[in-house]
Amino acid sequence: MSGPRAGRSRDHERTIGRLLKVMTYVAVGLLLVGFLAMIIAGISPIDAWPALDPGALPAQLVAATPVAFLWLGLLAVIATPIVRVIAAGVAYGSGGEWRMVAISIAILAVIIVGVASAVGTEA
Amino acid sequence: MVVGLLMLMGGVAAGAFGSLLGLGGGVLIVPLLTLGFGLPLREAVGVSLVCVIMTSSAAAGVYLERHVANLRLGMTLELFTALGALIGGSIAFLLDERLLALLFAGLLAYVAATMVRAALRAPAVPTAVARDPLAVPPEVTGAPPEVAGVPPSGLVDPQAGYVVRRFPTAIAGSVGAGVVSALLGIGGGIIKVPLMHLVMGVPLRVATATSNLMIGITAAASAVIYLLRGGIDPYVAGPTVIGVFVGATLGSRLGHRVQVRYLQGLFVVVLGYTAIQMLLRAIG
Repeated sequence: MSGPRAGRSRDHERTIGRLLKVMTYVAVGLLLVGFLAMIIAGISPIDAWPALDPGALPAQLVAATPVAFLWLGLLAVIATPIVRVIAAGVAYGSGGEWRMVAISIAILAVIIVGVASAVGTEA
Repeated sequence: MVVGLLMLMGGVAAGAFGSLLGLGGGVLIVPLLTLGFGLPLREAVGVSLVCVIMTSSAAAGVYLERHVANLRLGMTLELFTALGALIGGSIAFLLDERLLALLFAGLLAYVAATMVRAALRAPAVPTAVARDPLAVPPEVTGAPPEVAGVPPSGLVDPQAGYVVRRFPTAIAGSVGAGVVSALLGIGGGIIKVPLMHLVMGVPLRVATATSNLMIGITAAASAVIYLLRGGIDPYVAGPTVIGVFVGATLGSRLGHRVQVRYLQGLFVVVLGYTAIQMLLRAIG
């Protein structure tokens, strides 16, 4: 690989790299806020924890409950590599590299199957 | 509050040790949470997976910015590690915790044996190989930028300097790495790096960086299953993940001031003791 395609690929990698770093900092920041709120509220890690309820998360955030920031931070951590795959897929698509686009979609499909199977088992 | 701070400090220690010794956090986090804080093994694995994703994402960001990791190869293989993680994450909830403890004891013994073998083979290692989540460790710096664009199909890239070979074997190994990662809460680098380097012919520095890149999506594929099935405790994960992040960053800063040989010796003893404790847990 050489020429404009290699240059474009390097630009994409740099952008995706920055995205990963920014998302990591955001996730750690959210977890830190949640942990500090935990300490202030006198919550111990050995206390029973409320289950993740995505529908209730906005209201919990408005109420500034510690667990809302913790869940959001954890979701941000888990979402970071998934967002990286999406970003890479879009970048490869813009360069016409359809095989890599197909691989990106297949990875996301595996994640979706995992989510669906976990939700199905819980239900 | 005290327990939370202890978990934070435990995370810092695990992150720093992992960084100084070039290990992923999972090998240390799971025993810390199960043996140190009495968490069920499956919950410890869930928290460990989140720690692993966090350190992998931070490090992969730097690897990509510096064009050390092979994104195409990494994405192609991580399709199969993610598939393995999906399988592992699903069967993890069906297996007896004692069997998981037995598998983990085996993993710890293997890592300890590998460290002893490496120490005997390379007698003079002056400083630690830092594994900073936000910095490229020495073994992966300085790679020719061209290596980032090698196709994973076995085709020769004239600028790459290496040919990716034995792709079918790598696919099988990647699925296996994903299963192990999901079952034991580790990144799976102990399988992926030798697989890429020894089997596929990828240079070690590129294999290390690419493995780090792949760890994130591998662990994420099973972490979503743990999360949705109630296997991740946010009150435990919060302080532990922050601690690991801080510890890994600190470890990389201290890396060149620490005599890694002494640290390795101490660590082998800790791993051996932990393996025995896990074994005792497994046999009830």
